[in-house]
Amino acid sequence: MESASVAHGHADHDEHHGPPPANRSSRVEAQFLGMLLFIISEVMLFGAFFTAYFFIRVVADSGWFPMDGKDLPKLIAGVNTAVLVSSSVTMHWALEGARRGNRRAMQVGLLTTAALGLTFLSVQVNEYVHIGFAPHDNAQGTIFYGLTGLHGAHVAVGLTLLVFATLRAFRGHFTPKEHRGVEVPGIYWHFVDVMWIVVYSSVYLL
Amino acid sequence: MSERDPAAGSPAGPPEEDPRIQGERHPIAKMIGLGIVASVVGIAISLWIDWFPQSAAGSANKIDTVYDVLLICSVPIFVLVMTVAIYSVVRFRAMPGDMRDGAPIHGNTRLEVFWVTVPFLMVTALAIYGWIVLDDIEAKQPNTLVVKVTGQQFTWSFDYPSQKVHSTELVLPKDRPVEFRIHTKDVIHSFWVPEFRLKSDAVPGLTTKIRVTPNRIGHYQVVCAELCGIGHSTMRQDVRVVAAGAFNSWLDDQKQAAGGAPSSGGGGGGGGGAPDGAAIFAANGCGSCHTFKPANATGTVGPDLDNIDKPTAAFIRQSIVDPNKVITKGFAPDIMPQDFGDKLSPEELDALVEYLLKAQK
Amino acid sequence: MTLTRRLLAPGWYRAALGVAIGFGLGTAIVVVVRSLYGWDPVFKGDAIITVGALVAAPFGFLIGIGCFDYWFRWASGAPTIPEDHSGHGAYSWRDYFRVNTDHKVIGIQYICTTFFFFTAGGLMAMVMRAELAQPGTQFVDPNTFNGLFSVHASLMIFLFIIPVFAGIANYVIPLMIGAPDMAFPRLNALSYWMLPVAGVMMLSSFFAEGGAFATGWTAYAPLSTETPMGQQFFTLGVQFAGASSIATALNFLVTIITMRAPGMTFWRMPLLVWANFTTSLLVVIATPFIAGSQFFVLLDRTIGTKFFDASAGGDVLLYQHVFWFYSHPAVYIMMLPGFGIISEVISTHARKPIFGYRMMAFSLVAIVILGFSVWAHHMFVSGMWSWLRVPMMITTMLIAVPTGIKIFSWLATLWRGVIHLRTPMLFALGFITMFTLGGISGIMLAVVPFDIHVSDTYFIVAHIHYVLFGGSVFTIFAGIYHWFPKMTGRMYDETLGKLHFWLSFIFFNLTFGPMHLVGIEGMPRRVADYADQFATWNAVISISSFIFGLSFLVFVYNMVASWRHGPLAEGNPWRAHSIEWQVSSPPPVFNFDEVPTVVGGPYEYGVPGAVHAVFKEKAPASAAVPAPAGGGGAPPPAE
Ligand code: HEA
Ligand code: HEA
Ligand code: HEC
Ligand code: CUA
Ligand SMILES: [Cu+2]
Repeated sequence: MESASVAHGHADHDEHHGPPPANRSSRVEAQFLGMLLFIISEVMLFGAFFTAYFFIRVVADSGWFPMDGKDLPKLIAGVNTAVLVSSSVTMHWALEGARRGNRRAMQVGLLTTAALGLTFLSVQVNEYVHIGFAPHDNAQGTIFYGLTGLHGAHVAVGLTLLVFATLRAFRGHFTPKEHRGVEVPGIYWHFVDVMWIVVYSSVYLL
Repeated sequence: MSERDPAAGSPAGPPEEDPRIQGERHPIAKMIGLGIVASVVGIAISLWIDWFPQSAAGSANKIDTVYDVLLICSVPIFVLVMTVAIYSVVRFRAMPGDMRDGAPIHGNTRLEVFWVTVPFLMVTALAIYGWIVLDDIEAKQPNTLVVKVTGQQFTWSFDYPSQKVHSTELVLPKDRPVEFRIHTKDVIHSFWVPEFRLKSDAVPGLTTKIRVTPNRIGHYQVVCAELCGIGHSTMRQDVRVVAAGAFNSWLDDQKQAAGGAPSSGGGGGGGGGAPDGAAIFAANGCGSCHTFKPANATGTVGPDLDNIDKPTAAFIRQSIVDPNKVITKGFAPDIMPQDFGDKLSPEELDALVEYLLKAQK
Repeated sequence: MTLTRRLLAPGWYRAALGVAIGFGLGTAIVVVVRSLYGWDPVFKGDAIITVGALVAAPFGFLIGIGCFDYWFRWASGAPTIPEDHSGHGAYSWRDYFRVNTDHKVIGIQYICTTFFFFTAGGLMAMVMRAELAQPGTQFVDPNTFNGLFSVHASLMIFLFIIPVFAGIANYVIPLMIGAPDMAFPRLNALSYWMLPVAGVMMLSSFFAEGGAFATGWTAYAPLSTETPMGQQFFTLGVQFAGASSIATALNFLVTIITMRAPGMTFWRMPLLVWANFTTSLLVVIATPFIAGSQFFVLLDRTIGTKFFDASAGGDVLLYQHVFWFYSHPAVYIMMLPGFGIISEVISTHARKPIFGYRMMAFSLVAIVILGFSVWAHHMFVSGMWSWLRVPMMITTMLIAVPTGIKIFSWLATLWRGVIHLRTPMLFALGFITMFTLGGISGIMLAVVPFDIHVSDTYFIVAHIHYVLFGGSVFTIFAGIYHWFPKMTGRMYDETLGKLHFWLSFIFFNLTFGPMHLVGIEGMPRRVADYADQFATWNAVISISSFIFGLSFLVFVYNMVASWRHGPLAEGNPWRAHSIEWQVSSPPPVFNFDEVPTVVGGPYEYGVPGAVHAVFKEKAPASAAVPAPAGGGGAPPPAE
């Protein structure tokens, strides 16, 4: 993923070189499309883990939580879901700020989003600490940690992207016309959010 | 489908106008003729080749027929491709300095529909045929003999549950349907008897099944067909198909042996109740890597155990429990499994060491 | 430059430093974590190698060599520094050893690197053949043998076939569609530099304790979760190769969608572009599955998770389903770009439009779609659900239809062409015939009752090499010869090229043809030793394989000698129509002074006056780049 910086116009090449500007044969932006394709392959990675989930829970069929007296904290995780969903809202707010040239809104929006994301992660880590089983206890534990851990890693990546965007927002980048540096991480963040809803409903609720 | 690009000019006339095939009257008919001859010859050769090992089961003949049918269908396809390619190259080859272009033909819908439909029908027919044969060779049969097959690194063992017999040799009666229930103790193996043409993986956590009716008396081999580690290539074991009567007396022998003395093998072991070295040797796949006359083992991965370097109990025990401690000259470390110390109980180890020691000069 | 400056500037010195720092950091993490948790021993070799050498050090290398410099500055919001002039074009051989964002340089880097790994993998095959020449154990012990074929196949697949196609496409595609470069040049460079990391990792597994990974390129669990340390080199190496191929595929897709020249509609794209478009879709969708499968293995091995432990609720066949959901599409990832190359080569050297252009494109799409619905044909004897076998047999066999369309359309393209039997054309013809054989043996394998007998025998090994060598590698040779003048600006030696073709064609068949027979007769694959009855054929196979191997030397000599001293090539030695041939050989640094306009199909041979693309200003293509402000006017490479 490679958004153009402020110093650069559309072209991905450095201005002082002399390639002819490429023809734009599609209305879709390169960065946007790139992120979309990346998300497709991320969905497939989750797909692989969900396949594992399917095999362990349905095919091997040796039971699911509550198991050996241990249950998954549906409620806390539910609250955590709300936290993550609301971070999608604040992300949208930041983007709107960027679109309208409202720098403050963009900065505050990005900061809250990052804060909510961080809250989510810490609740998750806390859950791991108190949940009472380990990934190597049995296959159910394995796939529980596998799916939530994979998702957690994606939250961490999303957070990193957000930190970059926030940094840049505070250093004076992004204009109403040129704000892909907010938009593209935003797409990723929404993806992470939607993915969590899928993980939450299949692992905790179903 | 094959509509021409608007930018394209008008195509040249019918093939007869191509000066290079003008002299020839029916280039296509000629090719078809050549193709048929070549196909017939090709089919004849491919059927004449003796592809398969002996067939020793009913299903084997059906599978051999499947292959024959596949050959009969495939040879003409290959011949077709070759004929057109060679003919074109011979006929339409550019002369040195030839700067012309070929005929601007962009497609031909009829032809394209044709070569979509024919392969489609062909593979559909083959698939249906394959399905029928599959159902046929896997059909349930009455009066089946159940044999439990257990794979482990790197040996096979066989149980006849209703007869309560355990053996490291697979003996089967002729003309009686057998159902193999295949298991593994460790990684994936694959149970395959080429003469039966059937195989199935042995998968941890699953029981897989194959059904077969041996119909030819003889000696064959079970071959492990799934990579299972260092000794994979040596994981072969004997299969004997015998007459029904011989099978029953073999079963009796086995039962007797199990009742009085320990089960299989001729090594003859320790007294009542104590573990039997020969059985342990067989059950742990030592023979797949080592040559050892008393056990009829002929493996060549590891050293010949008829002449162990230092024939002392301590050394043999160490060689089994911690094989990397001393590496026999001419062999590499890390080949012999290092977990026999955990797998075998101390009594079993004693028996095994004793068994090996006794055979040393 | 002083040493400190060198250590700070992107390049090999900093890369060495990066490796050291990465390894140090990784080790520190392991040691700190282990002592915090009170695990014993604190210095655990396996853990340190995994985290330090196989994860942290490669990242240190990539950062050090300079793949991330631009992004780091960009991400922190600092003003970005456009690269120095090495960012475009290569002016000496040294420039090929730097991070370079020019798609043409990256293309060459890809091709040379992948051929290096081909040679390594091929030499391993030679050792295998030496060992298999007679029954018994002669040269290598069984463990080494298992390591040899595993590394052989992994290098061939993950570091030769898949990336070499990406390399050829890297060079050719932007030129073909009239783009000055790829959409994301820096991502392109990163994709390339991940390859040597993956390759070196796989090669160095031979030095790991317990030998190289020895579970085949398929690395079936639970064997792969139990074998020694070497397996980790595969598990992690594949992640780097996979990431590289996803990144490249994404790059191709975006480039092809957003950067085509004006007038280049999808139905005017050369078929190589179509082929890479469809392949890239496969890569983006399927590759994450192999990443997943290897993550499972890695986790089972390192932290003891139970994905594949049946006794703890895991499922062994899970591995095979996930693995083949990638690896079957992967075989088309290894074939479709080759189909594209063959379309270019045949129409150019037979001087005829591709027969049924649209069907050729549709059949690619059909193969992609069908390709996702056949994975379980690798599992007919695996003990999976038996009801799945027949549906998978049917879908598998249906792939013969779109593939047949391609074969027959190529034949129809030859018909009434003006066939120039140059080396690329010879390899294309060799491909058509050999791939048909390999494809037919594939159809046989798809018939379940037959596959039950031959699965995991040398019949499979024969199929593999007919489709991968007679198929993919022949197309690669065709492509390399075809674009050699474009890439190097020099002509290759036609006589040597033909010698190379005939030697490889004949000895290829002598090597891999008899394997069909020994397979059916009962010789299992992946064995270091075999029953005596197969001795004669194996001796024949081994001897031909040595001559076959030597024939590759003819190719290497031809390439090296021609690149250095061959006669200079014109811009368009084959009188082809597609855009890459309308610029000088090698192309100017920025490909075009002006993006061309496409006015017709790419293969309008024989149509009077037809052209594919026109340049607005008819300036000689090699004219100097418009002098950029700040001095960037270095002349195009003088090679
Ligand atoms: C380039 C790579 C490549 C390609 C293109 C293919 C193409 C095909 N493969 Fe192959 N295959 C491999 C690489 C490839 N394969 C590898 C590496 C393995 C082994 C993996 C391992 O275990 O290590 C394997 C294994 C493999 C198996 C598993 C065998 C086993 O382990 O038991 C099967 C089974 O169905 C199979 C089938 C097919 C089929 C049906 C095609 C089809 O796509 C072929 C279609 C082409 C044609 C049919 C020819 C042209 C068509 C015509 C001329 C039209 C008319 C034809 C007819 C009507 C038949 N392959
Ligand atoms: C693109 C893929 C590709 C390519 C190109 C090759 C190329 C070759 N392969 Fe390989 N092979 C596979 C993919 C490939 N293979 C796969 C996927 C498997 C399955 C592995 C598994 O089971 O997991 C396999 C397995 C495999 C086996 C079976 C191993 C087993 O099951 O026990 C064998 C055995 O003969 C073999 C042989 C060869 C040979 C002789 C070549 C030759 O074509 C190599 C020719 C090249 C060179 C020799 C190198 C360059 C030459 C020189 C530098 C000149 C000097 C030469 C000499 C000194 C002679 N291969
Ligand atoms: C996968 C192959 C393999 C299997 C299975 C195997 N071994 Fe070995 N064994 C070897 C190799 C190779 C050596 C030589 C290298 C060494 O000393 O470790 C060896 C060495 C030995 C030696 C020392 C021989 C000498 O002359 O020094 C003894 C004793 C021995 N094995 C006994 C056994 C017994 C008993 C078993 C079964 C319980 C067994 N082995 C199973 C491969 C194997
Ligand atoms: Cu057991 Cu291979
Ligand atoms: Cu496949």
